[in-house]
Formats: sequence, structure tokens, C-alpha cells
Amino acid sequence: MEKVKAVAHVSRSWMTDGTTPRPPISTSSPTTTAWTAPSSSMPSSPPARATLPVPLGPVTASTPAISTSVPTDPSAILDELVAFVDGVRAAILASVDGFGLARSRSMPDEASHPAMLAAAIGLARQLVALGGGAQLRQLVVDHDGGLMLVWPIGDERVLAILAVSGVEQQRLRSFVQARATGLAGAVS
Amino acid sequence: MSTQTFKILVTGPFAAGKTSLIQAVSQTRTISTDVVTSGEESDVKSHTTVAMDFGTYRLDGDDIRLLLFGTPGQARFRFMTEVLKGDVDVVAFVIDALATETHAAAGVELRALLRDLRVPAVIAVNRCDDFEVARRLARSLGALDGEAVVPCQLVDPDSGREVVVEILLTLLASLESTKVEVA
Repeated sequence: MEKVKAVAHVSRSWMTDGTTPRPPISTSSPTTTAWTAPSSSMPSSPPARATLPVPLGPVTASTPAISTSVPTDPSAILDELVAFVDGVRAAILASVDGFGLARSRSMPDEASHPAMLAAAIGLARQLVALGGGAQLRQLVVDHDGGLMLVWPIGDERVLAILAVSGVEQQRLRSFVQARATGLAGAVS
Repeated sequence: MSTQTFKILVTGPFAAGKTSLIQAVSQTRTISTDVVTSGEESDVKSHTTVAMDFGTYRLDGDDIRLLLFGTPGQARFRFMTEVLKGDVDVVAFVIDALATETHAAAGVELRALLRDLRVPAVIAVNRCDDFEVARRLARSLGALDGEAVVPCQLVDPDSGREVVVEILLTLLASLESTKVEVA
């Protein structure tokens, strides 16, 4: 839990000031320079590998719960997400063309789920233009049972997180950002 | 005379030519949800529709407008057909004549869809120039004698317009038959 808090603290500048655009989840090295908003003259295709200044926080020997070795297997990352971010119930990683790539153990194995996510994110990307934007950052499904947050992971993957309504979204995003490379990596 | 708007459901198997048809004939900017394919499907084509395609066609001189709703082709996206099929006037079923491995499942899908919707269909047989070949394939899929069949090459926009003409003729015939029944 301490690691998550540390990451959230480091990343607060881009997540909480209300004026800095919130970028999509990066799939590149977290040690590169700050993400900048695309100019309005850019084509509709966003930069494929925008980056964020969100390094992992220090992991001390006294850290009680999270292993010092960061998992690289997407399913393990999603289980870790469920275990260490309060209010997260389940998570699933899919390809943008509707195939399941990984899921937390708490997520049922249902073939239509990744397909629905792909369809939803596909339509949402079109709705971005309706809203005058160029780059989809997230899709939020707010329902009476909680929240579903759907985030692009790079250009070819999509992550859906099922959580309670009061989940701390800054912490959640920080956690996922810190694991972005693993989530965008090899198929589990 | 007020404009009459008709909803056309463009459906059929993966990689049959549905998106090509809509992009070829739409007179307004199409809405497309193409994404890159992965796995075995990437061997067939580089992009695929994951939610829907949308385009429109207005018949010059007549106040008739078609709204073309295209579905994804893969079975895992079948829920999108359920979403899009409401109040459909004509089903345009696109089938690739040369992708024979898709025909059996396509027949099951076509028959189920027509039983469900009870609307006329136009069978667009892509990558086919021979009407008799197209007609036999359509019959093998379960198309009825009276249903329209169009051999086409959907890489050619003119060929797509021939499909639209057939859709319009099918619509007009349907409207005529409705009038007779009313009279």
C-alpha cells in the first residue's frame, strides 16, 4: 500500500491541478519527459506513445504487502490491482479488436466481455470528435452498482476496471501507470 | 412530400466487404470503428470493425434517404447486431463468394436473422461477376426465391452503388406490396 501512496504523491501534479490534461496510459518508459497535450492542429490519430512523469515510488524493506519485484504478467498485475487498491473489484485487459488478454481472478471468463469493451472504446473514440477532442482518455460507466473505468493502454489494448463508486481514482491511475509497461507487454 | 427514411442493416461474415460497401456508397462522412486486427484475423486483413459503420444515401429527385448501419462480422460481436437491428427495413447481407469457409455459418446467421426480423433482404455476393453463381450461393445460404441477389466487386465503388440500387428496388417493392395489402 505504501508504494501506491508514493506513486500517487509523485504524480499529483498532473492529476489534481485541474488544468493539466490527463493523458492516456503510457506504454513507454516512465522515466522520460513530461507528457504534453497535442496541439489542435494535429491529426485525429494521437501520438502513439505519450509519456508520463510517474516513476515508481521507493519500495522499502518495511513495505508490508507489495513485493519489491514488479510483476510483468498482465494477469498478475490485475490481481495485484484488485488486492492493493481499495474498492477495486475486478479488472480485464483486452485487445482493441475484442480478444481477452488477461483478467483478474475475480473477473468471470466471458468471451463477450472483451468484445463489448472493444466495441465501447471503438464508439467512444468516435464520440471524442463529437466532443471536439482528438484523443480518448477514458470511458466511464457510472451505474447503480459502482463504476467501470475503461482506459486505453497504448494504441492496441484497453483496460477495464470494475470498482465501487468511491474508489480513489487518482491512486488507481497511478497504480496502472506504474504497471503500464507490463500491461502493454506480452500476452498472458 | 416529406423525406422518407429507411434503415438498412448491412451485415455478413468477417471480411465480407460490409465496411467497403458503406464507405463506397455513403454520401456523408462515414462513421467507422475500425481497429487493427490481432491473431489469426490479422492474416486475413489489417483492420476490422468492432462496433459499427454508419453511412447515408439520398436518392436524387426522390425524398428517400437510406441510413446504412454496418455490423462487425465476428461472432464475438454478435451483440452489436442485436443493438442495431431494431426497426430495420431491409437487410443487406454481404458474403464473399470466394471465402467458402464462411458460407455455412453465414447461412445459419442469415436464416436466423430473416426469421427474426421478417424484412426483405438483398444478398450482395462480393468478389463475384456471375449472376447465376451468386444466385446459387444465395440459395445455399437460405435466401428465398424472391429475394434480391447482386453479384458485386466491392473494391469498386460503382459496384457498391449497384447494391444500393437493388436495396432501393427492394424497398419500393416492399412498399408497393404493403399498399396492396392495405387496399
